[in-house]
Amino acid sequence: MTSAFRKPDFWTVVTGVILVVLVVLLLFPIVRVLMLSFVDADTLKWTLGNYVEVFTRNYYLSGLRNTLFVGIFGTLGACLLGVPLAFFTARFRLKGRAWISTLAILVLVAPPFIGAYAWIMMLGSNGFITNFFERIGIDVPTIYGAHGIILVFTLKFFPFVFLMTQTALMAVNKSFEDAAENLGCTPWQRFVKITLPLVFPAISTGAIICFVLSIADFGTPAILGRGFRTLSTIAFSAYRSELGGLPTMAVTVSMIMIVISMLALLVQRRILAKRRYASSLTNLPVKTQLTGWRNAAVHGFCHGVVLIAMLPTLVVVYTSFLKTNGPVFVGGYGLESYDRILRTAPEAITNSFIFAGAAVVLIMAFSALISYVIVRRETAISGVIDFLMMVPYLIPGVVMAIGFVTTFRSGFMSGMGAAWLLILLYFIRRLPYGVRSTASSLRQIKPSIEEAAINLGAPPLSAFLKITVPLILPGLIVGSLMGFITAINELSGTLILYDAGTITMPVSIYLAVLDGEFGLAAALSTVLLLCTGICVYLVFRFTENRDNAFI
Amino acid sequence: MASVEITGLRKLYGDVVALSDINISIPSGSFFTLLGPSGCGKTTLLRTIAGFHAQNAGQILVDGKPIEGLPAHRRDVGMVFQDYAVFPHINVRDNVAFGLKQRKVSASEITKRVDDVLDVVQLAAFADRMPHELSGGQQQRVGLARAIVIRPKVLLMDEPLSNLDARLRVDLRAELRRIQRDLGITTVYVTHDQEEALAMSDTVCVMHQGVIQQAASPLDTYLRPLNRFVAAFVGGNNFLSLAKTGTQFALESGGAIVLDTPLKADIVCAVRPETLHVSPGRVVPSDTEIAIPATLLDVSFVGREMEVVTTIDAGKKMKSLARPDPAIIGLQAGSAVTLIANLDDLSFFEASETGGRVG
Repeated sequence: MTSAFRKPDFWTVVTGVILVVLVVLLLFPIVRVLMLSFVDADTLKWTLGNYVEVFTRNYYLSGLRNTLFVGIFGTLGACLLGVPLAFFTARFRLKGRAWISTLAILVLVAPPFIGAYAWIMMLGSNGFITNFFERIGIDVPTIYGAHGIILVFTLKFFPFVFLMTQTALMAVNKSFEDAAENLGCTPWQRFVKITLPLVFPAISTGAIICFVLSIADFGTPAILGRGFRTLSTIAFSAYRSELGGLPTMAVTVSMIMIVISMLALLVQRRILAKRRYASSLTNLPVKTQLTGWRNAAVHGFCHGVVLIAMLPTLVVVYTSFLKTNGPVFVGGYGLESYDRILRTAPEAITNSFIFAGAAVVLIMAFSALISYVIVRRETAISGVIDFLMMVPYLIPGVVMAIGFVTTFRSGFMSGMGAAWLLILLYFIRRLPYGVRSTASSLRQIKPSIEEAAINLGAPPLSAFLKITVPLILPGLIVGSLMGFITAINELSGTLILYDAGTITMPVSIYLAVLDGEFGLAAALSTVLLLCTGICVYLVFRFTENRDNAFI
Repeated sequence: MASVEITGLRKLYGDVVALSDINISIPSGSFFTLLGPSGCGKTTLLRTIAGFHAQNAGQILVDGKPIEGLPAHRRDVGMVFQDYAVFPHINVRDNVAFGLKQRKVSASEITKRVDDVLDVVQLAAFADRMPHELSGGQQQRVGLARAIVIRPKVLLMDEPLSNLDARLRVDLRAELRRIQRDLGITTVYVTHDQEEALAMSDTVCVMHQGVIQQAASPLDTYLRPLNRFVAAFVGGNNFLSLAKTGTQFALESGGAIVLDTPLKADIVCAVRPETLHVSPGRVVPSDTEIAIPATLLDVSFVGREMEVVTTIDAGKKMKSLARPDPAIIGLQAGSAVTLIANLDDLSFFEASETGGRVG
């Protein structure tokens, strides 16, 4: 390179800063977890003993089995609901299709632990459905244990399979199906032999997401488990019992969770690598109008699934308006539960907004910069950053939080308060949402636009702020809203990091549920659902505009 | 207004040589075109001048001052992009004013200069429109106005007309040339369209595989191509194999002796399609002509002219262009014809891809 030309170019500096932030906030905690899992808690010497213990003691082994069991069956259940739903909405004329998609998205963004405790209110030992059937003499199996967790996972995670499969089905060139029919396939054969294989990559992607989220989920097994332990609840209680010492067993269990997630992702990669169906959309699929009982059955299934999935949310909102006296429902309606939030836990609401808000400000700034580096700078380092953006998806919240505690509560960053740790935890875990959405916006913009600005005399930062940022703003806003929704609903990591002054809404709800304070939990959940709903509405607004905003 | 001097420029992508020892001299105010097939390095050269690529060796001097030390945003060279690159979120006026604002020009002068330049590109009525309300041709006028309003030392244009439809391309071509002449602005223009290059340029610079093949006036480029590549790329040529006996070279088809030279290399004979006449049947040539027996393959009549494809021995295809002739158009494929060319219209090149001109 000649002279001063490419010396400290603006984007090289930015790339460096990004790399430092990711190394400190992402890699340090993970490496710390990895290292601690090889340390003996008493002697502080290197050892494989922790892993030996996990793989020999029944307590841990059954946890591993349980995790895989609910993960696999929860995923299967999600596929059994999601795939038919996607096929029906993509291929048949349905009344209220937009409504079905909207409900599915609402189910997707609502925190899973709310579903879990709403099902307790319906099917728990004192649930109203249980009580109803008992009165007429029928014994209903309770919701607690593996089947309850699988039920909640199924109803909570099917929208991933549904939405991804639906998108893929809409993009399958109809000529393929016409050709199959022309060659003599019955509609069913055509579906099994042509359509299903074509959308299989999408189904598998949705299924892997379900599986990874099921493995990582803490709230559902914590609330519904009753002795049925999964790795995330084991890691959490190990961490609690090891407080004061080194949390070596907690991190060892965490490592097992990371490995399972990574294996799932590798499987997914292999599936996708072998199947790439580029489809030119010359011949869009057409929706057919069903008649008679088929029409009624398809309508019934589609609306039934989303309504049942929404049921927990409705129950929660309804419960929040029941009249209570302390933890007891006394019959009739009232606003006591909301009154109690204001009296006992107003700071949970403000904390939640402050932490999630601060995290989102960071997410916005870094998403814009990181997506530019990933999309526009084809260097080895930008490849590394792109890869690192996958990592937070793989690390369960409990694990990341344990990594944060073990890394930042000692050594050079030990001065940081719980509030800062929570903000940084939300930031690093939800950053990929912002980056992914912003990067896909940026890919739509031709690089020549920025070059034109530079050619006209704008320095790189100025070209970025005046030209690039306004053009990627819709993607940036959508990504940030998604980040906000998931940050404000975060439970498992917060449970590990929070202290007296930094309680959040999900933690308050979780604690209220454990105390049997269902009214209080319902009111807090309703507040949480409300702001989640507002964010979803905003996302809809911005994604709609995105298409015709800057063409 | 400035002259551009490029010496010993070299650009590598890994092991691939994108530009190899480029030496160019562009006089102030002239229109200099880089012409070549895709991948020949013409766009790389343009973007290197703009500062979007750093060269591995060599110098670029604008008005005698080296510019490779300057980052792209301080080079003061205007650029017009193939895909217009009009900022989609601000209106025409703000697009054109962008570079002036970067240069901290006063608001009143910005208004005046933007109004003037919009008059020049005939977009005064569109100043407050958003880019998506403009046609492709209008967007490219905005691109041009935006580049020239900053009064750059050099104007760079990267295939600015290639995304437009054929008629508009011809109209805008003339307009670009007019504006360039009026402003007297030194211009480097990139295109793969030889007609565009010949019609617009003061100098046409033909590139191939990162190497400059010839830089000359349009007429010289067409009439006296320096090597076989230029002869083939600009205007197209039929190449005939020659058989060598001592110092004499004879056509392999027809046998006429066309060249007498002591050169050792293999040599081919080039004849332009429009100088190769097709006659039905077998014809005996005059003393100043050659005649090649051929078989008619296909005639396409496209209105103003007809394109006749014939095969000579060994199945080699020959192309000729001529005024439509019912006697030829009416012939059946497979008919015997004779290809006739004037000896003065033949030129000779060494047989390699970039073999030099002989004689």
